[in-house]
Parts: sequence; structure tokens; C-alpha cells
Amino acid sequence: MSEEKYKLIIDGLEVEADKNDTIIQAYAKAGKAITANVGCMGQGVCGSCRCLVRKEGERSAETKLGCETKIEAGMQVSFLDYFLPTHVHHYDMNKVGDGWNWLEEVDETFPEAKNCRHCGGCDTACPKGLEVQNGVAQVVMGDFSTASTTFDECVMCNLCTLACPEHIRPNHLGLFARRMKAARTLRPIDLMRRLQEIDSGKVSVNIDAI
Amino acid sequence: MSTQQKFTGIPYETALANLRAKTPELNGTLPEKDVLLKTFHPDHAETARTTLTVGANAGDFCHPDLAKLLTANPLIEDADLAGAENMVTDVLVIGGGGAGAAAALTAVQEGAQVIMANKLRIGDSNTVMAEGGMQAAVGADDSLQRHFEDTLKGGHMAGKKELVAQMVTDAPSAVRWLIGLGMSFDTQGGDPNGLLVRKKAGGTTAQRILCHRDFTGLELMKVLREAVDIEPRITQLNRHPAVELLSDAEGRCVGAVLYDLERRKLITVHAKAVILATGGSGRLHLQGFATSNHYGATADGLVLAYRMGAKLRDVDSFQYHPTGVAHPPHLAGALISEATRSAGTKLVNGLGERFVDELQPRDVVAAAILREVREGRGVERDGQVGVFLDTPRIIAEQPDILQRLVTLGHIAHKCGVNPAEEPLIIHPTLHYQNGGIEINGNGETCVRGLFAAGEVTGGIHGRNRLMGNALLDIISFGRRAGKAAAHAEPAHNNRGGLSHVHNFQRALQKAGVKSEGKAPVLYPNYGTFDWKEHAGLVCNID
Repeated sequence: MSEEKYKLIIDGLEVEADKNDTIIQAYAKAGKAITANVGCMGQGVCGSCRCLVRKEGERSAETKLGCETKIEAGMQVSFLDYFLPTHVHHYDMNKVGDGWNWLEEVDETFPEAKNCRHCGGCDTACPKGLEVQNGVAQVVMGDFSTASTTFDECVMCNLCTLACPEHIRPNHLGLFARRMKAARTLRPIDLMRRLQEIDSGKVSVNIDAI
Repeated sequence: MSTQQKFTGIPYETALANLRAKTPELNGTLPEKDVLLKTFHPDHAETARTTLTVGANAGDFCHPDLAKLLTANPLIEDADLAGAENMVTDVLVIGGGGAGAAAALTAVQEGAQVIMANKLRIGDSNTVMAEGGMQAAVGADDSLQRHFEDTLKGGHMAGKKELVAQMVTDAPSAVRWLIGLGMSFDTQGGDPNGLLVRKKAGGTTAQRILCHRDFTGLELMKVLREAVDIEPRITQLNRHPAVELLSDAEGRCVGAVLYDLERRKLITVHAKAVILATGGSGRLHLQGFATSNHYGATADGLVLAYRMGAKLRDVDSFQYHPTGVAHPPHLAGALISEATRSAGTKLVNGLGERFVDELQPRDVVAAAILREVREGRGVERDGQVGVFLDTPRIIAEQPDILQRLVTLGHIAHKCGVNPAEEPLIIHPTLHYQNGGIEINGNGETCVRGLFAAGEVTGGIHGRNRLMGNALLDIISFGRRAGKAAAHAEPAHNNRGGLSHVHNFQRALQKAGVKSEGKAPVLYPNYGTFDWKEHAGLVCNID
């Protein structure tokens, strides 16, 4: 099937690709060794193919996931390589307490979070359209339930972390809140019962019964 | 990407009119299961099987494309190791998906220092793409025994009973472990102290799939990746694919050779135990099928392990997931979760008929779709042939369904389809490697010092995997391999070399096998990667 072709620039290379291709598919046609900035190739869940995209005739560039963005003629694309951040927020899930001190724990682990200057960089950067800035405020306020929902569909592409001038690492802050909430409050009754049955030897598998 | 034989079908507009004309009823024409699979499942195609002539599985069946890789030339030779920098650790984990992360975290808990070598980045794996969920028999109407029997039957009784029994017994504690790390699971009515939401999978006798909406793998991998990232006793080497294992004089595995993509150099890592968690092989596009797999799924672990003498099993058995996208062409192979069928969505051919019970095991449903396509009853649009996934009807019946099936909404949007009005066109997509490296209950292979976990292993899912057992497998066996590896006895002399490679090459020569190409391939062929060229070692002057 012959398709209309578009020309675009990816990482400085001129590439010709089918008009329905995504950036990541066009990238695969560029003929250079691809060893990074690629992952799930279309599902939009791994966050690997983060890139800056400038459409023809536009001044500003947007952050996108290459596998979820269709190409356009004259588009300019630059992949954003991953690098290790200068500061990682270390914490130990086992040492996070019973939940009454969550506010202190957030402040201790993510001391920058309360300094959010509401520049909106994180919201602009998020390729999933999440309300990142609100999410940061929710965690700082201790509203972990709402924050968990805000960050639910986050794919951890780290673009908000790149964008944040206060080094808050919003996606990691959101994940911290989500992890604390699940680890400290999720106690499904059917799971607890089955674990007890297994631990007490009440149920087991008879491999010869089949 | 697909070089499959092209079939014609019923034109889209006609098929759509047929679909809308009446409520589709099962047409009752499906042949008996064995006949259906033998005639239509890709594993049974004439081009799908060869016999291995060299190595631990000499005489056994294998997919021809995989057999070529298993008997290919190595990427490196002794001379390439001269001057390679060396690192030392207790446990080396190769692979950064769910199995690798679970193994690394457990090995650390057991007191080991861990190096984790990832071809891309940690988390870039099939795990993060898993949608449907994870099996664990927690319901009052369910039992470990039923989970055990469903898994064995679904795998055509080819699984190892001991491994399956162990995995299903591990399931509830695996869920508890994940919750402890901060993973969320859906509960009924959102009550954290209530009952877990349980979905039904094809081929199971009870509702047993636990989930986080329909992106369970993303939720799981987010949590595991973060836990690994902030664990100081794990050294992560991202963008460090393994190109060979290291053996000592006794044939024991004592480490691996990695290629550092940033510095374009080889490094060696010596360890008292190595865990292979390199995943599957979908990106080899076996038989020209499109795939739902991650970019890195190129069977590297099988190649490395086989060369060192590890035994494989069922490497002629692959899973073709029934519901890959067939149209539009540029999205071919992308996965539509089984959760969609689990929720009651029907499959309809171009005549407007249901031709299979949608909740049969995946191989049966896939073969049934391929039968419709091959016999001309598929739906054809822009040269692509598949069958309908009848989303308009299910959305009319359950108007809130897209809130539960978020990913379905996303993929329909990408296909340019309003799923409430227009059905999606689907076709089976290469999804999972059913077989792999033989292991025991501790993830040990028959090579001392070499462990394996996850999709790279065989024996658990037999010859067909049930939905939700992959995420369980990686946690159950990832943790077991991590624990056992942390307590492995160190080798007497752990200076590693490539003697196993030389032995294997001699065996190839003796058997008269002329090996073609080099393996592991590391990236799919459209990744245009050659490590020597990448490392600047190719001399263009003769």
C-alpha cells in the first residue's frame, strides 16, 4: 500500500516516513543504531521516548512521547536522553511509620515540595496531561487519596522532574504518596483470609489430583 | 514489519452492516479444540519447527528462527576482553523488568550486594506493558487447587506440576509483598479493607485476576523500579546489554560480559551467582507476525544460557494473543487487553457471526480468529484483515466500561475510532514465549551459578499461558531466584572466561553445523545495531 510521505528532522537527521507513522516509527526508518529513547513502541506506558517537538511554523517546542505522537511534515524532533538526577530522594518503605506522621515524612523526604512556586512547568511538560502542580499541593497538604488519583496514570517519564526549577521531582513525590497509601492502608479481607489459611496449613495443592 | 501471507476478507462496510443487523449468536462451526489448533495455530505451521542438532537440547524441536540464534556465532572473542574493566558483586541480575527487579530486591533483603545490568533502562520491559492483571486465588469460591488445575490444563498439561503448585501457593503472598512495596490493587467499591476486584480470564474456572484498572503492569513496574532506584545496595547499570556469560574451568557461571553503550566499551562483572531475567522474544517477529512486545524482547537470555549448557524446553511454543490491533496498519500488533473480552466484549466475523466462546484459552481464540481470516470470513479494511471486537454493543450494555478499561479507550482513540459507535478490527499478535530455560523451584538452571526467572524460563505455563499468570510468575520466581542466588556458594576460582563458548563452537563444528550470523542480537533488525561498528572497532581498510 503506497502512502503519502512526510519529511521531518529527528535528532538532526532528515527522515522520510509514512504520514500515519508515529515519531518512534519514523525514527526506526532513520537507519541509525537505535539503542535508547525507545521502549514499548506505542502503548505510551514506559516513558522512554520523551522528546521535544517543534511543529513547522511554530516558535515554541512541546514535550511529547514519541510513540504517541504522529509525525507532521517539517516537524523537528529532539529526543531527551535520560540522565541521573543530582539528587535522589531516598526513603525506606519499612521505616515509614503507621501513617500518623505522613506530613512530617513527606517534608523530611521531599523538603523542596512545599517550595512549589506554581510556575506550571510540570503541567506544561506532562505528556499525559496530568494536573501535576495540583498533585504536588495535594501531597504537601496530606491529601494522599486525591494525590493518588492525580498521579494514577503517570508513566514516570520524568519530564516534570526535568521541568521543575525547585528540584521537587513531582512524579516521584506523587509515587511516594501512592506507595505510602497502598502500603499502609490496603488490607483486603479476602487476601488476609487466604494468607491465614495458607500459613496455618489449612489449604494446599495436591499435585496428584489431576 | 509483517511479512505474513495476505488474505482477503469481507469489505469493511458490508461487514459493519452485518454486525449492526442483528445480535450475533455463536454459529457453532468451530472444530474440536485439537483439530482447530493443529490446523490453524501458528505453532503448527510447516515453517514453525525444526530440530536442534547441537547443545543440551539436541534432538528437540525449536522454532527455526530461534534455532538459528541458538547456534549462531558469539558476538565477542577472547581478544575483545583484553583491557576490559572488571566489577565484582555477589549477585548479578541481567534484565530490568519485573522478574529482575523482584530478584534484585529479594537478593538485597537476603544480605547480598547486587549489580543489575539492563539493556535499555530499568523498567523498559514487557512487564510495564502488561494490562490485564495478576492471578491469585483469593476468592471464597476459588482455591489454590483450582488455580493449579486451570494453569496446567490451559498449558495442555505440559507444565511442571511442582513449579505450578509452588507458584499458585506463592500468589497471595506475592500480592502481599507488592502491597508492602506500595502497589495498589482495585478493591470492590474502593474499600481498602473490602474485597479485591476479581476478573475472569480465558480458560479459568473462577474469577481470579487481580488488577489495577487495566494498566496493572505499569502500576507494578512503577513501584518495583522506584524501590530498586532508591536501594543503595543495588548498583544499576542501565544501557549495559549482556553480550556473553563468563564460565570458570569447571563450567560454572561466574559472571557476564556487558557492553557499556555510553562509553562504548566491554566490561566484565564477576559474581557468585548470575540471574537471567531477560524476558522473551516477540521482537524476533516469528513467522512475520506483528508483536505486542517491548523493543528489547530479542531472546538474548536463551542464547547466552544455551551456549553455556543450560537446558531449554518448549522453545517451539509461542503465544499469539487473540486481540492485537489489525487496523490502522501503523498500529498493527498493539495489544488490546484480555480484560476487554473478560468484561464481555464479543468477537464477530465479517458475516456478523460469533465463531468462538471469547473466554476460551488464548491459543484457542487466536486459532479461531486465524481460521475466520484464512477461510475468507474476516473483515478487510485498507488491505488489513481481522475480525471485529464488538465494542459498540458492550458500551451500550455497560456505559461505564471505559472508566474501567482506560487503555481500551486510549487505543481506540489512537486507532481513530469512537468505540461506542465503531468496532475495532483485531488480529492475533505475537505475545509471549511459552517455553524457555528449565529451572527448579529456586530458579536454578542445570548450570551451576546460573539462575533464571520470568519469561526467559520454561515449564510453568506449559504450551499456552493463561492471562494473569505472567505477572505472578515474575514475582514468584523472581523472589525465589533472588533468595537462592544470594545464598549461592561462591566458586573455588571465580576467574571467568569464554571456554564454554569455545566448547560450543567445537560441538557445532563436530556436528557439521555452519553457524550463520551472530547472537544475541540485542535489538530488533530495524534497530540497525552492530556492536563492533558502534564501538568503533570496524576497520574499513582491507
